[in-house]
Amino acid sequence: MHLRVHHRNTFSYAGKAHDSFNEVRLRPITDDTQRCHDFKLCLTPTATSREYGDFYGNTVHYFEVPDDHRKLVIEAVSTVETTPMAARPAVPRVPFEELERSPERDMLSEFYNSSHYVPLDVELWREAQDALAEGRSDVWGDVRRLGEHIYRRFAYRPKTTGVNTRATDVLKLRMGVCQDFAHVHLGLCRSMGIPARYVSGYFFNTTRRPRENEASHAWTEAWVPGYGWAAFDPTHDRVADERYVKIAVGRDYADIRPVNGTYRGAPTRSLKVDVSVREAPAGAMIA
Amino acid sequence: MSILNPHYDSGVFFDEMFAAGEPGGTRPHYTRLAERLGRLPVEEFDRRRTAVDSAFLRRGVTFTVYNDSQGTERIFPFDLIPRIIPGSEWRRIEAGLIQRLLALNLFLDDVYHGQKCLKDKIVPPALILGAKHFRREFMNFSVPRGIYVHICGSDLIRDAQGNYLVLEDNLRCPSGASYMIENRAAMRRAFPNLFQSYGVRPVETYGDDLLKALLHLAPGKDKPNVVLLTPGVFNSAYFEHCFLARQMGIPIVEGRDLVVRDAHVFMRTTAGLVPVDVIYRRIDDDFLDPTVFRGDSMLGVPGLVNAYRAGHVALANSIGTGVADDKVIYAYVPKLIKYYLGEEPLLPNVNTYLASEPLDRKFILENIEKLVVKSANEAGGYGMLIGPHSTKAECASFREQVAANPRNFIGQDPIQLSRSPTWCDGQLEGRHIDLRPYILYGEKITVTPGGLTRVALRKGSLVVNSSQGGGSKDTWVLHGDA
Amino acid sequence: MAGTKSQLPALRAQATTMLSRVAHSLYWMSRYIERAENTARLLEVNLQFLADYQTSPEAKLDQHWESLILSTGDEELFEKLYEAADSRTVTEFLAFDLKNPSSIMACVNAARENARMIRDQISVEMWEAINELHLFLKGRSTSAVWKDGPNEFFGSIKQASHLFQGLTASTFSRSEGWEFIEFGKFLERADKTTRILDVKYHILLPSATDVGGAIDTAQWQAVLRSASALEAYRRYYVREILAWKAAEFLIFSDSFPRSLHFCVAQVDDFLRRILGETGARPRTAAARASRRLLADLQSLAITDVLDQGLHEFLMATQTALETIGNEVVDTTMFYPTESAIEEQQQQQQQQS
Repeated sequence: MHLRVHHRNTFSYAGKAHDSFNEVRLRPITDDTQRCHDFKLCLTPTATSREYGDFYGNTVHYFEVPDDHRKLVIEAVSTVETTPMAARPAVPRVPFEELERSPERDMLSEFYNSSHYVPLDVELWREAQDALAEGRSDVWGDVRRLGEHIYRRFAYRPKTTGVNTRATDVLKLRMGVCQDFAHVHLGLCRSMGIPARYVSGYFFNTTRRPRENEASHAWTEAWVPGYGWAAFDPTHDRVADERYVKIAVGRDYADIRPVNGTYRGAPTRSLKVDVSVREAPAGAMIA
Repeated sequence: MSILNPHYDSGVFFDEMFAAGEPGGTRPHYTRLAERLGRLPVEEFDRRRTAVDSAFLRRGVTFTVYNDSQGTERIFPFDLIPRIIPGSEWRRIEAGLIQRLLALNLFLDDVYHGQKCLKDKIVPPALILGAKHFRREFMNFSVPRGIYVHICGSDLIRDAQGNYLVLEDNLRCPSGASYMIENRAAMRRAFPNLFQSYGVRPVETYGDDLLKALLHLAPGKDKPNVVLLTPGVFNSAYFEHCFLARQMGIPIVEGRDLVVRDAHVFMRTTAGLVPVDVIYRRIDDDFLDPTVFRGDSMLGVPGLVNAYRAGHVALANSIGTGVADDKVIYAYVPKLIKYYLGEEPLLPNVNTYLASEPLDRKFILENIEKLVVKSANEAGGYGMLIGPHSTKAECASFREQVAANPRNFIGQDPIQLSRSPTWCDGQLEGRHIDLRPYILYGEKITVTPGGLTRVALRKGSLVVNSSQGGGSKDTWVLHGDA
Repeated sequence: MAGTKSQLPALRAQATTMLSRVAHSLYWMSRYIERAENTARLLEVNLQFLADYQTSPEAKLDQHWESLILSTGDEELFEKLYEAADSRTVTEFLAFDLKNPSSIMACVNAARENARMIRDQISVEMWEAINELHLFLKGRSTSAVWKDGPNEFFGSIKQASHLFQGLTASTFSRSEGWEFIEFGKFLERADKTTRILDVKYHILLPSATDVGGAIDTAQWQAVLRSASALEAYRRYYVREILAWKAAEFLIFSDSFPRSLHFCVAQVDDFLRRILGETGARPRTAAARASRRLLADLQSLAITDVLDQGLHEFLMATQTALETIGNEVVDTTMFYPTESAIEEQQQQQQQQS
């Protein structure tokens, strides 16, 4: 599936801002499930951006706006080709014991330990025990059941949580948005010894009504021996398919913040995010 | 009456100066000092001691103690009896330190590139990937000249047989070099004639060696600008920052004096923005740049880290070196020396048990009363148990902690640090000492002949930290052996 | 001993460049000390004047206190903090109150803070002089000052300031830093001389019979004494104190080191060195403003000033001095201009 993504962040300041230094993670990654054919970053005020690849293979662009400005617009346009589900190999059924014996497990330790948003609290372990009360099946089966558990037991409620909400907070609230569900899912998988990572990206909503809001999305990937990373979306209780576009992966949200930076000046600001995902003809390039 | 104490008791410890088997009971490299001290009346010694102390105060050779909001300044107590190291003994120490720093740099390069040592199971990956000071932001970044640690201060101790052992490595912002140089200046004033005859190697080369190592990081620049970045006047080591900046003739700057434009670093001078090529930073990684690391830091320079990444400025030491000096990684350094250099370590570690290894863990839990137990990421005696000096309850509590979180703990055989005669309450007595030499990695690795010898002034104490009753001595490395 | 005399290569990395922060700390340290001294002068002489005329009914004592506050330009703050202007409240406000940023105490604190930031750049003697003044003030209070006699107190402050300036002259290198110190000192002094002159304006004009009378003369004497100018004036004019003569002396004297003309000439000189203004035509706004002010002081006569109105002339001069100070700071400071405190804070930004 060929998709064209427009993602615009508009920061408006109640006064002057200057000496703005920023890092953004907005370029979709290229891996077995998708190819980023084209990417363009537009900055207003105009600024030169440089880039590097981070520890997890995400592309980071960094730039600075030294002069006074009242508005900063960061606009990313990308064209991505996702691999159809039919062309992706099936995730094998692997018993948990095999994961424990796997030679790669050591190198994945940061994905089954605590991270900033996912402190491995005993409550997360209990929740996971509840979800798998009927006994454990295979790794991928467990991942899906833990995801389904979140889908059934947690309410989707925008504006009840914030950018600092951790998985353990969500566990108490029992509600939240995709970012929170992804964090809880990581917590449940990791509590059960399954390496899992956070994915930020977009979801192409084919049933979207006109004027309906589109936003960035978040889901998770779990590591299955002999296969690699397999993606699941606990918010919708389904495997992430060709409608999902991955931007970045990391231990949790802290590793993949789309925009991160500091500036001097007016403390009050507002942020408007506009996202649109459309199907694009094959081979289309960004104008 | 001379200051030599006829009742001096070396006890069961290794004494730097006195030894029963030696002629006259004095080690050969100390005999001339003993003769000189033997002729020195107590009153004269006291006079020189007072003169040195007041010179330190006048010159402002101080560190800051935080017990109120103002911060009070104190001098670092100085003992006039030098610690003397024979030339051949020093050459062995020097070779060992160079070997160690080479291996640690290769290790850092590997950790931030291929991670071969993890894949080859030399070091358990979780120890690195989960380490507090592992800077994953700098994965695959090639540091200028391939050098991670330009300035290293390793702490050495001697066991009961007088063998030198490495106690810890300081690979972030090791401090104390200014005291090494000031102590020497004080000794020159107090005993000018003794120096003439003893053949002591100079330590005053440190400033120029440091500057050379820093200039090495700005290749191709005609007149590179080097600065020293300090957290500011309120930092306890501010004296040292000023001292070193003056020794090198470079500006001392605070974060707010620097600005980043187009990923280049400049300093704000009255004549405009002046480019900066090399930064000797005395600020920890966390505070360097609020954009990338701790956002609440006001000490750093926004944009600095990415200017570094873009290759437009060099930092000494590099970012992320702390991953190689935590107490658990320490235990692996002998293995790392063999792995990267194919050599046997010249300077051994203190015998260390890793709680993360099942057999070692069992040993630690069964022998906790006889061991020193340390937690991996804590410093300054925090999170540490000295078994033989602790209560049953304290040992039990540590036993639980180790069992619950083995990856975070190591155990070590307690070492009785060597002692050196020290002037205490009007007479010479043995006090425990350690040694921090300074190693610089520029075009080549140089070890300044000398270092900071710290002494635990309280009787029986093993704590040499300045904040807890420690003092210091001048360290003489001789050209010859006596 | 071999090896001690090191044959090291000359490796000094760079020519001396002065950080803006250091230059500005020197500038403010110097200004604040001078400001503290001048406030002490103002208070001292006016207390003396009041002591002399305490019993005289026509002296309008309360107005005198108000005029003191008016001349400092801080009357709004004073009214907020105190109910009435009298000897105690004015002394408290101008000497000790830390809520008043121009009080002697606040100035000395600020001078000390600036000195502390650059302790490694100034001499030990300079630091100790500031530190001792700070400790001296910490040990005093308004009631103690009135009990022990204010003259001794204000005298000590003046002396401490002179000690500091003398030590600076004899222990600080004649470098760019020196230029900032002197520039700050003379700029502050010029401003304060205009304010000392202005005190007289704020005392309600005496009735016709008072002009040239005992009180009028005493007030002008007080003004001259505020500037340590009484003896110098007498040597110069050798006659009785005349209002316009006193003003002429404090504004136009080209040799008395506290006169406006003298101070502005120094300001202009150091400013040109700081900004590298070597040509006949000034390049910077600061140099233009200072050249214009100096030209006025060189060419005007006291009658021109009185025709324009003394108060108006002094106000215009104060504005010009402020402009000069700000322009020099801006030109040598490569910081983004930050006006409000909140502006200096770093803000975090991230997508939520």
